[in-house]
Amino acid sequence: MTSYSKDVIRDLVEARLPWRQTKQIMSAYKDEDRFFKYIEVVQERVPWKERILLPLSNRLFIVQSGKRRVTKCECGHDYGDYRKNWKLSALILVRNSRKLLREIYPNNDIPNPEWMELREFICPSCGVLHEVEACAPGYPILHEFEPDLDQFYRDWLKKPLSAG
Amino acid sequence: MQETGCYDGVTELTLRRQDTLKFETLHTKLRSFCVSAREMARRISASPGVREVGEMVVAIYTPEGDAVALSNGIMVHVHTMSRFIKWMIRQDYETNPGIHEGDIFANNDAFIGTVQVPDVMDVVPIFYERQLIGWAGAVCHELESGGITPGGDVCLAQERYTEGLFVCAEKVGENDELRRDYVIRCERNLRMPIYWVLDEKAKVASCIEMRENVKSIVAEVGLDYWRHVIKEFIEEGRRNQLARTRQLTVPGKYRGHSFYGHVTEGKPGFQPLSDPNWLYNIPIEMEISIDGKITLDFEGTQPWGYHSMNCTPAGMDGGMFVTLTQHMNFEGLVNDGAWMATELKLPKGTWTNPDNETVATATSWALLLPAFGVFQRLLSRGFLARGYVEEVFVGQVNSPMIEMGGESQYGTSFGMAHFECAAAGSGALAIKDGLDTAYVGWNPESDMGNIEVWEQNMPMLYLGRSILPNSGGAGKYRGGCSFVSTWLISKTKHLRLVTSEHSSRVFDNAGMCGGYPAPTCQMHRAVRNTNVKELVRKQKPLPHSIGTDPNISELERLVTGVHETSEGPYITAPHRDGDIFTHSYNGGGGFGDVLERDPVRTALDVENGFITEEAAKQVYGIVLKKGKNGDLKADLEATARVRKNMRAKRLKRACPVVDWLKSERKRVAAGDFTPEVCKMYASAMRLSQRFATDFRSFWKLDVAFTMPGGERS
Repeated sequence: MTSYSKDVIRDLVEARLPWRQTKQIMSAYKDEDRFFKYIEVVQERVPWKERILLPLSNRLFIVQSGKRRVTKCECGHDYGDYRKNWKLSALILVRNSRKLLREIYPNNDIPNPEWMELREFICPSCGVLHEVEACAPGYPILHEFEPDLDQFYRDWLKKPLSAG
Repeated sequence: MQETGCYDGVTELTLRRQDTLKFETLHTKLRSFCVSAREMARRISASPGVREVGEMVVAIYTPEGDAVALSNGIMVHVHTMSRFIKWMIRQDYETNPGIHEGDIFANNDAFIGTVQVPDVMDVVPIFYERQLIGWAGAVCHELESGGITPGGDVCLAQERYTEGLFVCAEKVGENDELRRDYVIRCERNLRMPIYWVLDEKAKVASCIEMRENVKSIVAEVGLDYWRHVIKEFIEEGRRNQLARTRQLTVPGKYRGHSFYGHVTEGKPGFQPLSDPNWLYNIPIEMEISIDGKITLDFEGTQPWGYHSMNCTPAGMDGGMFVTLTQHMNFEGLVNDGAWMATELKLPKGTWTNPDNETVATATSWALLLPAFGVFQRLLSRGFLARGYVEEVFVGQVNSPMIEMGGESQYGTSFGMAHFECAAAGSGALAIKDGLDTAYVGWNPESDMGNIEVWEQNMPMLYLGRSILPNSGGAGKYRGGCSFVSTWLISKTKHLRLVTSEHSSRVFDNAGMCGGYPAPTCQMHRAVRNTNVKELVRKQKPLPHSIGTDPNISELERLVTGVHETSEGPYITAPHRDGDIFTHSYNGGGGFGDVLERDPVRTALDVENGFITEEAAKQVYGIVLKKGKNGDLKADLEATARVRKNMRAKRLKRACPVVDWLKSERKRVAAGDFTPEVCKMYASAMRLSQRFATDFRSFWKLDVAFTMPGGERS
């Protein structure tokens, strides 16, 4: 069975692995034991101690915080209950004018801001840009991912979570 | 399947268990039959689309029409051909017109089973001891299909009656030979019949080769073994797909969306059958169940329309299959079993499942590609959560296509689709930049073809084929860059140029995890009555690209003549010798926060023309300095200072989402949007109760709220 060391997984996640080795990992049968090594790698990276249950993106995680399960930024900012859309607790910058769109696209043709806007969802504490939505004005904010956390741990990982 | 949950009631992989080596060897042999038959056929074809770009796929099917093994290539059509075979069975073709050894059946009707009119498929039955034991099938994308506008993706078609030559599940040959009357019909109804007719011969040859190879295998293993083993192959494919989903993703609900702008107002040729301008929303909810099944739900999208971008369920299957096989079935032994582990929910009356079989589907990729780009991002969210970061991929974008026809450089009538679009930029990965000029979703082999080959087939000469700077979406890892081609029209008095799959006014893609979408609403730029010949004579500079100043192009800077800039589908008066035309392709979306991008790598990107110095500073906050040899070096300390300021500015300019929602709600309640945006909401709410309920609930609107506009459709 394919398996890699935690160091290899860390280098892979941090994009430090040589391309030849990365390509081999892409082409090979997948390592079944990846998830918990991955969790250890990202857990070592964050400056807080709460247990990471699931990464939602490269900078956002569902974590066990006491009896609560919350969405947390890598910097430690707490977005509240993980079942709620974290974007609603973020900061937003809406690029809905030619001037604001031109800041990101200085040399290319840009959308008509009456038809499309860019919404940037930003961490209130560290200022990291977590997600960008490109949508028509008035479109409801997207709740991108609602993982079935308990079933995932119980039925797929065979390591049930204690009640949150 | 309904009773057991397994393909055709195959609950045990008995043959696999009894002799695994024999089982696997046979499966691999079938795959190699397909791959070699396709390669052979490509040498018969006259079409640069098939020869150069590989716009072909072949497959072997069960007698019921389920794919057992397939080649590489445009895998979209593996399941669309399956629908074609099943359609003939349901229509009792066995009785009339009859299904016999040596028969050849062809189809390009998307409501029977294909994506669009240029995707012409041929299948032949495989008989052994006078019993039907399977089918061999092949598809080529034709470069010309005889529609209202030249080429294959017939942009101007607004109903099926203007899409071109239809072959509706027709018996086109007997005794392994194409019927002469069918060939005559092709020759008299197409602008460039040599492509279609020789592709037909290529496909028939590949089908016969697969058929004979299958018969020799059956003679070796026995008919009973064959009948059972092909079912086990498919059931194994189904189980493998479910297991792969459980291995690589996380169960739950995933949501994404994309948009597409269709602007035809004022363009010549479009009949006033409906509003000329449409904004399409393409929302997708993906559910991964605990057994590993993937369901995609398109509830809330727009209705079908009088344009050529509608899609049939067969086309949607095709989009699903080609995306799924690229991302989850990389070992090659994939078949219809993988498709059976998925489900598409396609609301009736939408562009995904029209309730009217007269609609046109010739450019259905315009909406299909953004849709399945969303699917790629949704899957990638699962890969990322699970730790398989090397599989995360921001997804495909549209690949705008040029169709052309008129008088060739040889003085003859011609028609062609230019397939260099088959090598756009890909979305970024979670660990590296996207591929530059090397990816499209619909043809995983992705090849733009050689300039010289294209020049032999059209009256245009390349002035340039250049990387388009900043065409990849910005991010920690940028999207792959695309390219722009600049042509001098040559030796023709009448060249019709038409483009399709090109979104107007909106991006039709997105980034991930803070990455930005790729800039995919480029304008078309052309110059008529140019002074190019004079410039050549005087040895003055010629334009090789459009340049990087959005306010003035290189064409405007260097060439005199009548300059034209137009959005969306390019439909205009014919061009002639001496005119210049440019066409930009699309890059992919970015991944991660731009302020985390590696400055050293960015310096290389600027040197190589992938990012402009202006964007490096303005978008990424990277300070570059010229070295002693004129090379660029990143100033890491200055970059850190600039980025600190940019992050502070970002925080200062942003506001809490809850505050923004309050003010935005007033705008929504007043319907204070441009008419096309209002119409999009009104149409989606009218077609989908769920979309309407979710929309009202999100904005806390009255249950009776409706968006003004959208009365016409």
